[in-house]
Amino acid sequence: MKYIFTVLLVFSVSTAMFAGGFQLNEHGSRAMAQGGAWVARAYDGSAIYFNPAGLGFQKQGSVYVGTTLIMPAASFYGPTNQGQSTKNEMVSQLFTPINVYATYPVMEGLVVGIGINNPYGLGTEWPETWSGKYITQKIDLQSFFFTPTVAYQISEKLSVGVGMNYVTGAVTLKRMVSPGDAQVSLDLSGTGTGYNAGIIYKPTQDFSVGFSYRTSVKLDAEGTAKFNPTSVLFPEGDAAAALELPATAFLGAAMKVMDNLEIEADYQYVGWSSYKELKIDFKKNNSSTISPKNYEDAFILRVGGEYTMDALQIRFGYQFDKNPVTDRYTEPLLPDADRNGINIGAGYKINESLSVDVSYMFLKFAERTVNNTEVQFDGVYQSSANLFGVNFGYNF
Amino acid sequence: MNALKKLFAILALFSLAALVGCTDEAPSDLPKPGLGNVTINKYVAVGNSLAAGYQSSGLYKSAQVYSYPNLIAGQLKLAGASLGTFEQPYWPDPGNPDPKTGKAARYVIISLADPNNPVIGPKGETPTAAAPENAATLARPYDNLGLPGAPLAGFMDTVGTYQGGFGAAIIRGAGGLPKSQFRAVKALQPQLVTFWLGNNDVLGYATTGGTSPAAPTPLATFSFLYNQALDTMKKSVPNVRMIVGTIPNVTTIPFFTTIGPKVGAKLAAAGGIALYYQKKGESGVATGTTKFSSPASDPLICLTGSPYAALIGTVTGKFYKDNAFPALPAGIDTTKPFGVHPQNPWPNALTLDSAEIAIASKAVSDFNGSIATLAATHGAAVVDFNSIFTDINSNGKLIGGVKYTSAYITGGLFSLDGVHPTNRGAGVLANEIIKVMNAKFGTNVTGVDVSMLPALELPLGKYMTGDNVMPRIAPQSWDSFLKLWQN
Repeated sequence: MKYIFTVLLVFSVSTAMFAGGFQLNEHGSRAMAQGGAWVARAYDGSAIYFNPAGLGFQKQGSVYVGTTLIMPAASFYGPTNQGQSTKNEMVSQLFTPINVYATYPVMEGLVVGIGINNPYGLGTEWPETWSGKYITQKIDLQSFFFTPTVAYQISEKLSVGVGMNYVTGAVTLKRMVSPGDAQVSLDLSGTGTGYNAGIIYKPTQDFSVGFSYRTSVKLDAEGTAKFNPTSVLFPEGDAAAALELPATAFLGAAMKVMDNLEIEADYQYVGWSSYKELKIDFKKNNSSTISPKNYEDAFILRVGGEYTMDALQIRFGYQFDKNPVTDRYTEPLLPDADRNGINIGAGYKINESLSVDVSYMFLKFAERTVNNTEVQFDGVYQSSANLFGVNFGYNF
Repeated sequence: MNALKKLFAILALFSLAALVGCTDEAPSDLPKPGLGNVTINKYVAVGNSLAAGYQSSGLYKSAQVYSYPNLIAGQLKLAGASLGTFEQPYWPDPGNPDPKTGKAARYVIISLADPNNPVIGPKGETPTAAAPENAATLARPYDNLGLPGAPLAGFMDTVGTYQGGFGAAIIRGAGGLPKSQFRAVKALQPQLVTFWLGNNDVLGYATTGGTSPAAPTPLATFSFLYNQALDTMKKSVPNVRMIVGTIPNVTTIPFFTTIGPKVGAKLAAAGGIALYYQKKGESGVATGTTKFSSPASDPLICLTGSPYAALIGTVTGKFYKDNAFPALPAGIDTTKPFGVHPQNPWPNALTLDSAEIAIASKAVSDFNGSIATLAATHGAAVVDFNSIFTDINSNGKLIGGVKYTSAYITGGLFSLDGVHPTNRGAGVLANEIIKVMNAKFGTNVTGVDVSMLPALELPLGKYMTGDNVMPRIAPQSWDSFLKLWQN
């Protein structure tokens, strides 16, 4: 346990640096069931996301495929700066980010793989005629990361891995504009590239530490803006925006505390401070709109573990997700708040090559009261989400 | 597989627990409407066109329902005030008739065929009623006593001289009801009165370019009348709580700030030629010239100048024809190019020059000083509309993601006549009054959600863009509007 405490001490110091935002944290049910504390082990294909070095220790080829059903709920009470305490409920939606990983050991110690997943995404929808209609009615942001990866086990104790991220992203945005009271629909899509790398070191049989880093990805998105009804007043037509998906780093340590119980604690840093503003350029009249965001760097603390009973594993975890949005910039487009997530799950080995993992997370957002916001839309946000994950694994 | 079943059972149980545990309770620190220790069973609004819900040069029901008094009444009811129906003199849409044409007086955007010159004005709608729909059936004074055009003197006026063009229809003194705003207040015995009069004591002077009337109400008269109003109201209505408002400086409204910059841009585009305009008191050869280096401030061009702004540089006597001058004033030669020659200058009636601006501004600051002093004397709360309008004029006002400004039409707060508020402008006024009421009287009346009020409708398709764009409002369209101050 000594190691764990040392690691935690390191974490508590670095929390002065300040994930939330529109990052998604579910990229494999085995990891998700353990609060995402996975960087120091990364035993399955999701290593491609969490830590590519994990592949170096994997002796078999594998296919690991899954999805997460995300059911968020949010309410906004306000706008209090207009003296309102009206409850506005976000429209119910279901999101299903996927994760697909394939790995193959090409020779002793050298493993290649490819992953497809959705590390960033966001969807909020509010009633069309609600009080915040000039801020947002609907946003849908999706990103797909295609990550070819190679890992090399340098020694019994040490493995490293690198990956390249080819990213496609698309965003749809709907809101009202004034004057004119027209609805603008913005559809943009684009691509970008990034890189990631990681290392796992196992000083003993029962202890490992891991670190991984993913660069930020700049998405240059282009598309169209449509206005209904239209007017020469509006910049109808071609539009473009650059969106930077933040860099992130994981650091963690895992320990086998009993023969059949492993636990891990991770710290994840997310460089949200790169998200200063959302600038949308319109070709018509060379005009643009700028929405300041001024996010702050954020972090996630993750702890979790796995208890093995023959073919069955019981998993549990907890995560604290510090949100990057300051009070001033909190808005219904992304009603963020600090999040506490409680996770449980299980894995079952059907036979030597087939396995199934399931996981559940209840994510509770801290109630957030904001005043004097940038968009002058003050009030109280209450949010939560239920997440169900399932993955199937095939080893060969 | 037994283990797998167990596993799912465990998962299901956990999920259920989580779902049950996440029922949200309403947050405790939200605005809760209430009246504190104050009892309000009757609220009466004393005022002018601003209180009446006059919009786009007309009184019509679909705008009147968003008058600031009606919005305040709605919020008072939410806070527990048992007001019953807040009675207003509703003119069914399309609203009151223009006395001259018999057609509805309100403005709409008529044509955008030429997007650079949108045509705005009455579009010949036939009124459905000559009097308020409930005038015959309501056997008591209206709760909204807003009299379009009424100056401060209108408050005590029992004859109709100062009641503006709507006194007979709204006060209905001839029908046996109390003959003045004051008498109506006394009859209704309200616990709350909003009293916002005095705008017209300077606005009539300003909107006619300092010509009709030729001066604002003298300060001594204003102070006397204001003191008399608050004093008699307090004495006649023992439990009244009064909220008064200061007079916004006229230079902050789009009626004065829209055309000047556009004329300036037009002259600059034509090679930087100067506008010749008549200064205060001039009716013949003009001595005023400007290249509009600071176009918004000196001189101010009235929105009534919009039909003539397009004629600058042409040989025309349209202004004198439109206004039925029996003969051209001495020195005027309409064969000279209009606006760019001292003998065919931009007319005084469409201009507020520096001397006139100074007179109007002094009147406003004098009146406001008097209002502050007298409000303190009589224990009335003061809403400083002058500061509020000045702040909006310089900084705009951000509400629910929208930046409202005092720009004509696109600003969202002023209706098509450039003087009177839109529904949302009225919402802003109501919220400012409610804020002061809560601070002064300890009530907890909640505000109006401005974003939820209907916005000024822009027509589909083309609309004005760019600096050279000038709205064009036909001269005769202003008759009804300007008549507000010409009793």
